[in-house]
Amino acid sequence: MPMKKKLNLAPAFFVGPHVILFAVFILLPTFYGIYASFTKWNLMNEPVWVGLDNYKTILFDSGSTFHTQFNNGLKNTFIFVLLSVPLLIVIPLLVAVALEHKKVKGKSLIQSIIYVPGLISISAGALIWLLLFNKQLGMAGNVFGSDVSWPANQPYAWILIIIITIWGGVGGNMIIYRASISGVSQDLYESAEMDGAGTIRRFTSITLPSIRFPLIYTFVMTTAGAFNVFGQPLMMTDGGPRQSTHVLMMYIRQLAFGNGESIAGMASAMAVLLGLVILVISALQYYVMNRNAA
Amino acid sequence: MSNQVAQQYDKRPRIKEQDTVKRKSPGISISKYISYLFLIVLCIIWIIPVVFGITTSFRSQSEVVSSGFRLFPKEWIFDNYVSILENTSTAPILRWLMNSLFIATMHTLLVVVVISITGYGYSRMKFKGRDTLFFTLLGISFFPGVVNLIPSYKIIDALGWVNTSWAMIIPGLAGMGNIFLVRQFMNGIPKDLDESAHVDGAGHFRIYFSIILPLIKPVLIVCALFSFTGSWNDFLWPVIVFTDVDKMPVTAGLLLLQDIYGNYRMIGQLMGSAVLAIIPTLLLFLFAQKYFVQSINLNSGIKG
Repeated sequence: MPMKKKLNLAPAFFVGPHVILFAVFILLPTFYGIYASFTKWNLMNEPVWVGLDNYKTILFDSGSTFHTQFNNGLKNTFIFVLLSVPLLIVIPLLVAVALEHKKVKGKSLIQSIIYVPGLISISAGALIWLLLFNKQLGMAGNVFGSDVSWPANQPYAWILIIIITIWGGVGGNMIIYRASISGVSQDLYESAEMDGAGTIRRFTSITLPSIRFPLIYTFVMTTAGAFNVFGQPLMMTDGGPRQSTHVLMMYIRQLAFGNGESIAGMASAMAVLLGLVILVISALQYYVMNRNAA
Repeated sequence: MSNQVAQQYDKRPRIKEQDTVKRKSPGISISKYISYLFLIVLCIIWIIPVVFGITTSFRSQSEVVSSGFRLFPKEWIFDNYVSILENTSTAPILRWLMNSLFIATMHTLLVVVVISITGYGYSRMKFKGRDTLFFTLLGISFFPGVVNLIPSYKIIDALGWVNTSWAMIIPGLAGMGNIFLVRQFMNGIPKDLDESAHVDGAGHFRIYFSIILPLIKPVLIVCALFSFTGSWNDFLWPVIVFTDVDKMPVTAGLLLLQDIYGNYRMIGQLMGSAVLAIIPTLLLFLFAQKYFVQSINLNSGIKG
């Protein structure tokens, strides 16, 4: 009988430590973040409960700077998501399919080259790309003959931000797609080929349905990640020109940790709103894709 | 599940047989050239910035400013790296690199320990509410991280970890993503192995250490790579928790650097710093990449 008691303690050793970490660093801050969004808080003193005031200001008070900042930030975040996510799904998928081609040589070299930018931090990558597209010193002026400063003019500012995002972001999804496609039974392809199915037909009726779960997974995760965009616009354009690339995360950080007194309560309310947007869109994506595929 | 594993092993000889049969369908060669063209163009675009960053770090400031865009320098110089390493006050890059190295290494080691032990618990142990607990935590972890950013800073502050490496080493251990991958991978390993060890009287720690741990090496290596590069390249969090120039990791440092050097006055040094910041993750990737494809099959275990 004491034997049985011992066995019941073991799971606590294996799972327990992580549950504690999870409680302290994810559960607690999430609940506190939601609580803080209903308060006036400067990070130093105790938060003061103000009910829905922060949300009212952000969403409806058109005279308030918080309202303008939130609208502008959310709009720019949406622009970033709409521009980047389709490319971050389609390009890796094409790469993975091209790499699965039986006759293509040097697969691992190509895969490495495409993955490498994903290893480069956004700050290091941005320094390089900014120089590469510098008007006087880089390619933008000397190769493409463009005489505007890219980070300071639209639509070039967005193009720069999207380029560096795609450059750094394609590798991760490519690996996931490659791994999933290589798990698809080769027999399926062979019998389809015997039946006279062409490359495109084989892609749409064998490859795509077989990697349905990884597709949904990467689509949802990539979109959620894109809503949290912060580093690219901060490093490449610093939100310019005229705040047109100033994304919501940059406002949230500015309000909570910027110069001057912290307005963490307001920032928390913006964060909760952004979180809700991400949650709703993830759920919608999952629901629609799962239903269409079934 | 074991059926799937068996299928995968079956596949190999069959492919070989097929390859020996000569087939000349025109469709295959056209799609081959399209695939090649696409991949090669992409590779060229992808590699140019990396090459450009590296070569520019070996050019003198006067050459960069005067000669317009060139992929390779007229004259290779090492002065930029010498100045980078000599600057220990306003922009202590070597210091930042050491900080990043310590943070990323410690974080990665702890991640490997935590995810393998926790993954074992969720995949191999029987206890009440196991799957409910797992999926509840997984579900909560999908809640967007923005919301806990500000309170996380407060918690780090309360622990006295602001401006210390712990601020970056510990909180990331709470994540569920890698545990999900490890559990997924472990579920694919036939249970017969550890069941027979159980019968022989081995406890969970023995089975974890001597049976499971060696088998999950590929997925652990990939998770280690993800954790190392994730930690090395993290940007938002270090910008928030580090204000002390001597304590910060290199990503936060490079943001400062852009301000210090500003307006491209010391381009070679700027590029050299970016290049130095890339090297460790690149080396780790070269070592780990062969484990990639076999570890991240999201399809396995979900169909079954």
